[in-house]
Amino acid sequence: MSFEQIIFYIFSAILVAAAVGVITVRNPVHAALFLVMCFITTSALWLLLEAEFLAITLVLVYVGAVMVLFLFVVMMLDINIAKMREGFTGYLPLGALVAGGTIAVMWYVANNDYFNLTNMPPPERLAADASNTRMLGEQLYTTYVYPFEIAAVILLLAIVAAITLTLRHRTGTRYQKIDQQVRVKRDERVRMVKMESEERK
Amino acid sequence: MLENYLPVLIFIAIGIAFGGFMILMGFLLGPRKPDSEKLSAYECGFEAFEDARMKFDVRYYLVAILFIIFDLEIAFLFPWAIVLRDIGMFGFMSMVLFLGILVIGFIYEWKKGALQWE
Amino acid sequence: MNFDMPNFLPAMPEMFVLGMTSLILIIDLFLNERTRVVSYLLAQATLVGAFILSLSLYSGNAELSFSDTFVLDPMAGVLKMAVYATVFMVFLYSHSYLRERGLFRGEFFVLALFGVLGMMVLISAHSFLTIYLGLELMSLALYAMVAMQRDSRTASEAAMKYFILGAMASAMLLYGMSMLYGVTGTLELTELSRAVQQTQGDRLLLVFGLVFLLVGVAFKLGAVPFHMWVPDVYHGAPTAVTLFISTAPKLAGFAMLMRLMVDGLPGLQPQWHDILVLLAVLSIGVGNVVAIAQTNIKRMLAYSGISHAGFLLLGVLSGTPEGYAAGMFYAIVYTIMGLGGFGMVILMSRAGFEAEQLEDYKGLNQRSPWFALMMLFIMFSMAGVPPFIGFWAKLAVLQAVVSANLMWLAAVAVIFSVIGAFFYLRVIKLMYFDQAREQGSLKPGADLAVVLSANAIGILALGAFPGALMALCLQAMGA
Repeated sequence: MSFEQIIFYIFSAILVAAAVGVITVRNPVHAALFLVMCFITTSALWLLLEAEFLAITLVLVYVGAVMVLFLFVVMMLDINIAKMREGFTGYLPLGALVAGGTIAVMWYVANNDYFNLTNMPPPERLAADASNTRMLGEQLYTTYVYPFEIAAVILLLAIVAAITLTLRHRTGTRYQKIDQQVRVKRDERVRMVKMESEERK
Repeated sequence: MLENYLPVLIFIAIGIAFGGFMILMGFLLGPRKPDSEKLSAYECGFEAFEDARMKFDVRYYLVAILFIIFDLEIAFLFPWAIVLRDIGMFGFMSMVLFLGILVIGFIYEWKKGALQWE
Repeated sequence: MNFDMPNFLPAMPEMFVLGMTSLILIIDLFLNERTRVVSYLLAQATLVGAFILSLSLYSGNAELSFSDTFVLDPMAGVLKMAVYATVFMVFLYSHSYLRERGLFRGEFFVLALFGVLGMMVLISAHSFLTIYLGLELMSLALYAMVAMQRDSRTASEAAMKYFILGAMASAMLLYGMSMLYGVTGTLELTELSRAVQQTQGDRLLLVFGLVFLLVGVAFKLGAVPFHMWVPDVYHGAPTAVTLFISTAPKLAGFAMLMRLMVDGLPGLQPQWHDILVLLAVLSIGVGNVVAIAQTNIKRMLAYSGISHAGFLLLGVLSGTPEGYAAGMFYAIVYTIMGLGGFGMVILMSRAGFEAEQLEDYKGLNQRSPWFALMMLFIMFSMAGVPPFIGFWAKLAVLQAVVSANLMWLAAVAVIFSVIGAFFYLRVIKLMYFDQAREQGSLKPGADLAVVLSANAIGILALGAFPGALMALCLQAMGA
């Protein structure tokens, strides 16, 4: 077994264990953290496939941003774990059936004529100075400019949709208006009042 | 290409070993004498009022999702910056349009007050 | 780097819609409640402008651009124009409905226009990449529109169901695409069809990919057994949104089916033919039978939409250009009838009252003979009674099925549409022969009255002269 294969099996084992953790731990925050573990190990596997840009993006976007969102959402909801586990055994046969079917399909796909090692030999390893990011960039902004701009539109739509669905303005919130506070003059705050002295009775 | 990442792998291995060693030593050497006072939740000397996991405001969600969108935008900038010399004016303009579309979204969220914390 | 400048001209309508949508998004920020109508007018102007652009670009031949990820062919031209016209009608219908419910916001129009843009991308897609992106752009806009009524529990629930099931369907679609990509090594549809023809030996993997693709398409079209979301979403969403999601996306769904099956996988025609037969029979059967049990008119129309999706598939599965033209004709006719059906629900509703129950239509003839007559047109057309346009649509797909030597399938479709006629006729019975629960005549706004009358009379007029639309569909399919 080559060194790369050893690395692959180590990370795969961690990935599978973390994935099992995601769906079995009781605390949803722990599940989210296990998911972070999944993403990081997946990223290592992608790196082994020489997809370095995607591997780093996975960490940057999924671990850095998406998981923050997941954690917020988990904390936003009042999740009653005991209640969620109700009916687990009832759905188990159906779930097992779906899982079994999915595994069977994957098994078939992976062991098919098309994807065996004679029809699809492992690609040549890239040279030390080859850059996967550069290869992506050369295609993405020219050949695939149309899908690339649609991606921008989808992001714009996501901004509009998120704001439409969640933004609520509160009425009657009081603010500090710092610029006005700093600019204030003595005369605007202090009023000198002349009073006649009164005789003490 | 992969050989460039060997230092990262070594770093991860040493990091895990070092962190694990520290936790293990603390576990083995530290004195442990738990009692009910030590194990109970501490809240400024009061009895705990409620569960520590209280609901977050939905506004955190908005901040997080806006962050993701601009994070993705940045992810698209990296390959572009690397190949900028090779893809010419067309590649440059395609990113300008991409950023232009997102700037419209930025103007929208700013004017709408989504970036303001009330 | 060898890279040719793409031809931007065929994508002018897309660029125009994107530019105008962005403009409306910004302008709307500076409008208040009183001047908000400007957003509405601009949105309508966008659709009109896009229609003119697409019309001027319409020609008999197909033009590829953007490294073959984009295609403008006659089918794309006609379907895009149908989408603009449909959404134009949707906006006309929903204007006062939205105002009465506090939903008259610039975002409604912006989201709808993003949805239109997604449909345009999907209709003009010529690669798995653009099919997927167009589909997501369209679906995201639709999910957000369903959830727009934030204080309504049913709308939130509907949006949640729609989103989760829609995400699963997208995942299925991607899974299928990944299998086909793995075998053929291309995402581009013409190359894909060539590669599929050339593959030798075991085609089972291709069939697996095909099945997953069809699951995704069937979900978007609302065909049985992937229809579970349709009644719940149509029922839960505000009626103006239901009007939108039940009409224009069907045209895009039809285009997606055509792109994937006819452009991309003609080599697997025997396989997808069998699957589509199954989907069509189930949809026509379940849709027509379950609709009988509904007491809510939005749910009833949802099940009717499911059965119409089945009829649409009948046209495609015949595998001939005439059949595709019949399917396209059916899709366009269905959007016209769907506009009328849900438009009537909007017309009957008013602030604080949603005319969702079938009982609300009792004795409509006493309250407004004119609108009862209009509803009669729409219901007869949906049931497929001559001389309304719905009859010609059904006839065209049945002819296509018969010419493909599937007599039994045509017979099944006819039997179920006779069964289905029952629930359309029940609405008519309620309107004409039952006592009205509410007294007082129905007084809709002038704009709604005109739009609905035009829509219903259009159903009759097109039924009298279906030749022009049919000829257009045949021309678009190159038959």
